[in-house]
Amino acid sequence: MTCDELHQQLDPFFDNELGLTEAQKVQQHLEQCPACEEAYAARLAVRQALQKPEVRFAPPNDLRDQIQGALFKHASPTHQRTWRVPAFQLPNWLLPSLAGAAAVVAVWLGSNFFLTENRSSNSVLATVTAQLVSDHMRSLLPDHLIDVVSTDQHTVKPWFAGKLSFSPPVYDLSDQGFKLLGGRLDFLGNQEIAAVVFQHHQHYINLFAWPKTDSTPFPDTTLQKEGFNVYGWEANGLTMWAVTDAAPDALKTFVDLQKQKQKQGGTE
Amino acid sequence: MNEEEKLTRFEGEMLPLMSDAYNLARWLMQNEQDARDMVQEAYLRAFKFFSGVRGDTGRAWLLRIVRNVCYDNLKKRKVHSSDEELENIPDDSSPENQLQVKSEVEAVRSALASLPEDFRTVLVLREMEELSYREISEITQVPIGTVMSRLARGRQQLAEALKQMREKDLV
Repeated sequence: MTCDELHQQLDPFFDNELGLTEAQKVQQHLEQCPACEEAYAARLAVRQALQKPEVRFAPPNDLRDQIQGALFKHASPTHQRTWRVPAFQLPNWLLPSLAGAAAVVAVWLGSNFFLTENRSSNSVLATVTAQLVSDHMRSLLPDHLIDVVSTDQHTVKPWFAGKLSFSPPVYDLSDQGFKLLGGRLDFLGNQEIAAVVFQHHQHYINLFAWPKTDSTPFPDTTLQKEGFNVYGWEANGLTMWAVTDAAPDALKTFVDLQKQKQKQGGTE
Repeated sequence: MNEEEKLTRFEGEMLPLMSDAYNLARWLMQNEQDARDMVQEAYLRAFKFFSGVRGDTGRAWLLRIVRNVCYDNLKKRKVHSSDEELENIPDDSSPENQLQVKSEVEAVRSALASLPEDFRTVLVLREMEELSYREISEITQVPIGTVMSRLARGRQQLAEALKQMREKDLV
């Protein structure tokens, strides 16, 4: 191999882009030729200089938020519509009382969620999820988690029947890693709602349910609030919200299992 | 996949790549504000064409869009730029500046900034992002042979620039 030939192959050799046979030839030449070895050393020096982490430019701290905001705005109108869901799922009497709180809660919840023009219903959705997250947090206080302690769905379900005008779905999902712990009455505004409590490894999941008061479809909605993952959907005339500190994919699995059970109308 | 799922998946896959996207844009545009704008535009463009999981190919795909957005912008700018603006560009590498360069990092940055765009691009993609020739070829839309020769010349020029700076520092 001549020096000219070597120079054709030096960069691919340096970048591990050569086949074994060619690489061996280059290697042999470099061992015998100080001039070419110097060219190799110069490349190494350039690499070492460029690969210092400080030479890279780190993105400004707020760039991620800026991009997420822009993406949210530019997602198609159908996307924006899916966020305008909450008014119909709330009892009408609740709306006036929520309107005042909405602005305060909106600030508390942070920015990403409030980027569409339709601020009022977003704020209502924010208020609902904020209340549910706060219900969830309160439930984690000692002795607040469960009113009826039972891993038996046939005990928990009738317990709700005596206290609520609707019947929340209660399924034991222990076999799938979501252990039924029991049930609790909770509140959204002044309305009593059902909270069914599950445990997944070290994490608790509150599954809230109350009747829908409107026939407008409520599309699946996921968000993160205060470090909690929240997932809302509609099932058999009920508005369902799951709140947990478990990971998003675990929550998704849980919701899918719930939907599957509800669809089967399996033993309750 | 509805729009909401699309956004969720897109953000899950593409936002973790933001520092790579920003680094490339920052090296091409040579200032923070333009780099921010280009990264945002690239993400919006990428979202438009996103059609599901891209897996391992996601990074090269996103960087190709970033590179295209930057080049489009630089081209427009060259057409419209006045002489005054053109004079401003080499400021980073002017001898006065070089003498003021204090740290090794600043010296390297300044040397890389002084290289022609095409060489700078392949060096950033190869040495900082550690992409393969094939990926670089896809991103820059030139044959692998061209990637190779740009790398060779870019490295020689950068080595030379660094050498000169060090010699000046010693004076």
